[in-house]
Amino acid sequence: MKSAWKFFGSVKLAIVLFILITLASILGTLIPQGRSAAEYAARYGGSSGLFVSLQLTRLYQSFWYLALLLLFALNTVVCTVSRFGPKWRRAFGPSVEANSQTLMTMKVKNRFRLALPIAAAKDRIAGLLRSRHYRLTESAAANGVVLLARKRRLGRFGSDVVHLGLLVILIGGFTSGLGGHRADVPLLEGQTADIPHAAFQVRLDKFETEYYPRGEVKDWKSTVTVLENGTPVLTQVVMVNHPLTYRGFSFFQTSYGWDWDNPRLELEVRKRADAAFSKTVALKVGERAPVDDADVSHVVVRQFVPDFVMGEGNKVQSRSQEPNNPAAMVEAWKGEERVFSGWIFAKYPDFGQGHTAGQSALAFVLKNYSAAQYSVLEAAKDPGVNFIWLGCVLVTAGFFLAFYWPPREIRVVLEEVQGKIEVTAGGQAAKSRETFQSEFDQIFDSARRPA
Amino acid sequence: MTESTLFTIAFIFYVAALLVDFASLFARREKWARTGLALAAAGLVFHTAALILRTVVSRHAPFTNMYESLSFLSWAVVVALIVFGRKTKVPKLGPYLMLIVVGLVALASSPLMPKGATPLVPALQSYWLWLHVSVTLLGEAFFAVAFVSSLLYLAADTEEKKEKLDSLSYRAVAVGFPLFTLGGLIFGMVWAYRAWGSYWTWDPKEVWSLITWFVFALYLHTRVVMGWKGKRSAIVAILGFLAALFTYFGVNYLLAGLHSYA
Ligand code: HEM
Repeated sequence: MKSAWKFFGSVKLAIVLFILITLASILGTLIPQGRSAAEYAARYGGSSGLFVSLQLTRLYQSFWYLALLLLFALNTVVCTVSRFGPKWRRAFGPSVEANSQTLMTMKVKNRFRLALPIAAAKDRIAGLLRSRHYRLTESAAANGVVLLARKRRLGRFGSDVVHLGLLVILIGGFTSGLGGHRADVPLLEGQTADIPHAAFQVRLDKFETEYYPRGEVKDWKSTVTVLENGTPVLTQVVMVNHPLTYRGFSFFQTSYGWDWDNPRLELEVRKRADAAFSKTVALKVGERAPVDDADVSHVVVRQFVPDFVMGEGNKVQSRSQEPNNPAAMVEAWKGEERVFSGWIFAKYPDFGQGHTAGQSALAFVLKNYSAAQYSVLEAAKDPGVNFIWLGCVLVTAGFFLAFYWPPREIRVVLEEVQGKIEVTAGGQAAKSRETFQSEFDQIFDSARRPA
Repeated sequence: MTESTLFTIAFIFYVAALLVDFASLFARREKWARTGLALAAAGLVFHTAALILRTVVSRHAPFTNMYESLSFLSWAVVVALIVFGRKTKVPKLGPYLMLIVVGLVALASSPLMPKGATPLVPALQSYWLWLHVSVTLLGEAFFAVAFVSSLLYLAADTEEKKEKLDSLSYRAVAVGFPLFTLGGLIFGMVWAYRAWGSYWTWDPKEVWSLITWFVFALYLHTRVVMGWKGKRSAIVAILGFLAALFTYFGVNYLLAGLHSYA
C-alpha cells in the first residue's frame, strides 16, 4: 500500500508519463485520425488492420491514451497531496526549527552584536522586517528569542494550484466526453425544431449572410427565438464567435444553405410565332401549372439545380449551393401530348431552347428562382466546460504564484552573549535570490547601524 | 509613411544591430553591444509603428496570415531580447537572437508571403484571436531566448559562462511557459469554444501545442524536482523550442487541420 502510494506519487513516474504522452500525441498527428477503413487500407495496406485494432486511428479517444491521461491525473493528485502537509507547516506553522548554528550554515546569513536590551533589539529588527511586509512569529529560545519572518507565503503553493487546475481540467475533459452531447439542428427560416435532450425548442426567424464591400463573406447571422411550451422567451442573433447560451445548451452557427429541393420558380411561356404572347406562371418542382392556352395546356418543372453542370455519365448535377447557373428541366403539355422537354437556363435564356427541344414552337424564360435559406446550428450541451474554465483560472493563478510570487523566509535568533545581544539571521528564497540577498543585507545593515 | 516603409526601416535597423552585435563579439568590444541593443530598440519603435498602422488600416489584429504573424513574432523576439539583453551579461545572446529576428523578418518580407490584408473570415472575428495569437507568440519569443542560450550553453567553454547561460535559459522558460500556457492553450480553448463550439478537438495544431507544452513541463520538473541542470536541461529546452517551431510552421505546411488559415 505504502509502496503503491510512493509509486503513484513519484516524480519519476511523472517524467515517464510526460514522455509517453508526448510520443503518443506525436503519433496521432502523423496518422490521420477518424477516416474511413478504406482510406486506411489504401494508405497502409496490410498493416491497416493492426492500426485499427491498436486504436491508432482514434488515438486520442483510445482506451490506452485515456488510461495514460488518467494515470497522469492520479500521479498529479498523489504527488501533490503527499507533499502538501510539510509545505503547509513550513508556510503557516507556528514555528520553524531555528538555532544559531544551523542559521550560520545557510547561504544568506549575517551575525553581529548589539549593545541593547533584548526587547529593544528585537523591536528594532521586527520593525525593519515589518516595514518590508514580513509577517512575524515569535518564539522563546534557550537564552533569548527566535523571530520567524515570512512573506508571500502563498507563493509556495503555486505548483499545487497549477496541479489542482490541471486536475480540474482533466475532470472537465472527461465530463465533456461522457456527459456531453451535440447535435446539428438544420432550420429553415420560420421553422421550429425540438432540441434533442432539451425541454425547449428553437425557431429560426431569419438568416442573413453579410458581405464585405468586395464580396467576401463577413458573417452569417441567424436570428433565433427560444420557445418554452410554445411561448417565446428569448430572441438573439447567433453568429460565428457569438453563440447563444440557454439552460446549459449553447448554439453555434456552423453551416448554412438553401433549400434548393423546394425552390419557388417563375416561368414565362412564349411562342416563337406570336411575339405578343407571354404568360408567366409560378410553380414548384413536380407541380402542374396551368397555362390554359390552345397550344399549351400546362407546364411542369421536373428538376431544378442552382449551379448546373454535367457530371459523370452526362448526369445533371449541381456544382455548388450557390445559384451560379440555375437551370430547370421543363416540360410543356398540350393535353396528353408532350410538346416540349428540355433544360432552360436563367442566365443563358437563348441556350438550349432549340437544342434539346428541337424545333419547338414554344420558348421559356426562367424569370425567378428562390429557395428558403436554412441555417445549421450546433446545439451543444457540454457539462465539462465550466470545469475547464475554472481549471484554466487555477492554472493561470498558480503560474503567477509559482513564478512571480516567490516566498521568502528569514529566521533571526537573538541571544545574550557576554552582556550583549548576538543577532544571527539566515534567509531562504526559492527564486530571485539576488534581489533577496540585497533586501536581506539592507535589513541587517540598518539593524546593525541605524541611520 | 506606409506600413511597408516603416517595416523596411525596422528591418534596416535590425540588420545594423546584427552587424554591430557580431562586430562587438569578434572585436571583443563590450561597449558596442550596447549600441547594438540601442539599434534593435530603434528598429522596434518603427516595427511597432508598422504593426499599429496595419491594425488601424485593416481594422483587425495583425495576425491573420503568415506575413503578419511572422512580423509579430520577430517583434516579440526583439522585445524578449530587450527584456533579457539589458540585464544578462551574456555577450552572445544579442547577436544570435538578432540572427533569428533578421531571419524571421527576411522570411516575412520574402515574396513567398502574400502581404495583402484580407478581410477576416467569420471565425477570426474575435478579440480572443488577438489574445490567443499575441500571447502565444510572445511566449514563443521567450522560448527562442531559452533556445539560443541553451545552444550557447552546449558550445560554452568555461564554467562561469555555462552557469550564466543555464540560469538565463531557466529564466526565459519561466517567462515563456506561463505566457504560452495562457495564450496557446487557455485563450486558444476559449476561442475555439466560441467559434466552433468545442474547446478541444485534437486538431494537429492543438496537439502540437500540447506537445510543446509537455516538453517545457518536462524541462521544469526535471529541473525543479530532480535537480537537472546544464546539458540535459539545455537539450530539453532546445527540443521544446523545436516543437514550438513545428507547431508554428510545420503543422501548417505538413499536416492538415482547422488552423489552416493562420
Ligand atoms: C503538464 C502538467 C504539469 C504542469 C504544467 C505542472 C506545473 C508545475 C509548476 C508550474 C510547478 C512550479 C515550478 C517552479 O516552482 O518553478 C510545478 C512543480 C512541481 N510539480 Fe508539476 N506540473 C505538471 C504535472 C506534474 C505531475 C504529473 C507531477 C507528479 C509527480 C508534478 C509534480 C510536481 C512537483 C513535485 C513540483 C515541485 C514543486 C513544489 O513542490 O512546489 N507535476 N509543477
